Amino acid sequence: MQPKAHILIIEDDPVISEFLQTGLRYEGYQVLFSHSGHEGLILAKNQSVDLIILDITLPDVDGFEICRKIREVGLSMPILMLTVKKEVADRVKGLDSGADDYLTKPFSFDELLARIRALLRRSGHASENKLLSYAGITLNVETREVQIEGTPIELTPTEFSLLELFLRHPRRVFTREILLNRALGYDYDGGTNIIDVHISHLRNKLGKSRSKLIKTVYGVGYSFNPENAS
Amino acid sequence: MNRLTQMSLRTKLVLLYSILLIASVALVSYHSYWALWQLLVESKASHLRARAKPIIEHWLETHHLTQTDSIAPNFTAGAAFELARDLTSRETVAQILDRSGNILASGKRLPEEPTPPPININYLQQAFSGANEINYFTQIRDKTMLVFLIPLRPQPHQQQIFAVIQMSTLLSDITKILFQHASRQLMAAFFILIAGILFGYWLIGFSLKELKHLSTTCQKIAKGNFVRIDDIQNRDDEIGHLAQSFNVMVERLEKLFEAQKRFVANAAHELLTPLTGLRGSLEVLLRGAQDDPQAVNRLSKGMYKQVNHLIRLCEQLLGLSRLENTIHLKKQPIVLMDFINELPEKARHLLQNHHLNIQSGPAVNINADPDLLEQIFLNLLSNAARHAPAETPITISWRLLPKAVEIHVSDQGPGMDAQTLTRAFEPFFQGKSPSGFTEKGSGLGLTLTKAMVQAHGGSIHIKSILGQGTTIIFTLPF
Repeated sequence: MQPKAHILIIEDDPVISEFLQTGLRYEGYQVLFSHSGHEGLILAKNQSVDLIILDITLPDVDGFEICRKIREVGLSMPILMLTVKKEVADRVKGLDSGADDYLTKPFSFDELLARIRALLRRSGHASENKLLSYAGITLNVETREVQIEGTPIELTPTEFSLLELFLRHPRRVFTREILLNRALGYDYDGGTNIIDVHISHLRNKLGKSRSKLIKTVYGVGYSFNPENAS
Repeated sequence: MNRLTQMSLRTKLVLLYSILLIASVALVSYHSYWALWQLLVESKASHLRARAKPIIEHWLETHHLTQTDSIAPNFTAGAAFELARDLTSRETVAQILDRSGNILASGKRLPEEPTPPPININYLQQAFSGANEINYFTQIRDKTMLVFLIPLRPQPHQQQIFAVIQMSTLLSDITKILFQHASRQLMAAFFILIAGILFGYWLIGFSLKELKHLSTTCQKIAKGNFVRIDDIQNRDDEIGHLAQSFNVMVERLEKLFEAQKRFVANAAHELLTPLTGLRGSLEVLLRGAQDDPQAVNRLSKGMYKQVNHLIRLCEQLLGLSRLENTIHLKKQPIVLMDFINELPEKARHLLQNHHLNIQSGPAVNINADPDLLEQIFLNLLSNAARHAPAETPITISWRLLPKAVEIHVSDQGPGMDAQTLTRAFEPFFQGKSPSGFTEKGSGLGLTLTKAMVQAHGGSIHIKSILGQGTTIIFTLPF
């Protein structure tokens, strides 16, 4: 598997910066951060950065200016702007100054992640492939199609989410709670037993030989182990 | 009355205008009618007197009546009749009268000649006592007659009056002239009235057109479209002035409206930033980070701070709206020195890294709401502590002005640049901190402080030089 992308966060709000760092690290990205525009600019120039998340309102220089300066020195990594203003003029200004995409606060982390993946894919970053494949299972995140050895199988949206999660993070152990949150949404109130049902359906659809790929970790939850394929 | 209030302004003005026009035309007509009547009567009287004079003189000559002593034999009934006859015409009849009102001779012979009126003994007496110019009117049946009396003297300068001629003339020609005049005047008045009312209606409508324009503009503004009245504001009349005041008012209204909109937008913006942090942190925890105790700890602490920030922001917004809407201050007498001496204890949590230096001023009692006063001080101290470097002193001092006490709160912080200074009291404005990242305030502290000082009838301003600290100066009336 390719090394994950390096992401630079330039954001002055400590809490937003904190959750971005934690969330992105959890997803496996290498994260750099800066609370000021000047420092961020230096990091962007000197470190190998694959993508920048840039807040527009910074205490020293505004985000548009940083964006322009980054482009001036010839750096071409994708820049995702964070803005609070919904005005079209601001978006246009952001895109004009060289940003590739923008997100309006308050945004959901999932959407941010989707944008980051799309931007990295577009810029040709090796780790971001629309096809996730292990042990003969191929999952296309764009078309949401799953094939086993070239034969398409039908998955429910919940099963698809679980499989995507497993394929993105092989060998990571997920608790039932996390799986529940990720597959059924953060506002789902039911018990975690439902996850066992979905996992069992998913194992059945993967076929007998591949059902062992999803390993039960007793007392904790499940993990996906590509090595378990027989 | 009800119908009157329901009429349009134009109808009312036209009505009033018409009444005034009719009244003035009637007054002028009446006056001119009487003036003409008098003129005609007087000219007729003097004309008849002038015509009578040579006849009388000739008659006196021919009958030898020019000598006082020759009157008794020569003044006969025949002579009197001759004179009366000479003076009588189709319009006028003459009579010769003696002192007691007896008719010595009457000139009326033909039926078409006017019948003489009865004798007025009063006027007759006056004529006999020497009054030369007695004219009066008398009414016979439906006809008005002008009567004038001419005393007969042997010589014009002599006192002796041996008879009086009463000449009575019909005023039928004058009446005819006056009738013609009146009918012509009536016609003219009618045309003046019609033309006047039409012109007035047009003129009033023309003037009121601008008012109508004003009222439609008002309706547009009520719908939130802040339009100006450009076309009539250059007029130098009341409507032009009204339009100018109106435009000034619209301008203020628009500014106020814009400020209100900006305030709401800024408030939403200030609320959205911490909410983004909260939501993002929760999402990251729920999607997996909750399995990492360190991440849970860091994110929860951040969320705790954000929630506190949100609560403070909401409290300040509430405080501001309370102060702006209805002011219910609970004022009571406060000994300023005692109040300020209690501050170090009350502000202990704010001043952990700073020393509060109180320079006592003159003893003074003020009338203020103690809670708000404490808030004012705590806000200013918290600002000072946030910006000034640790271990630097924060100073409170005060002095007396004629009607208020002036309180100074100074710090040795980085100071403010000119732009920050002018915008410091704006809601949600936060100056750029030279040190870069510091804990953010809500941007409402100084706005709220200003509102609280103003609620007490005081004023507040800032003195600051970049790099040399900041002094906030506010006054509180006694």
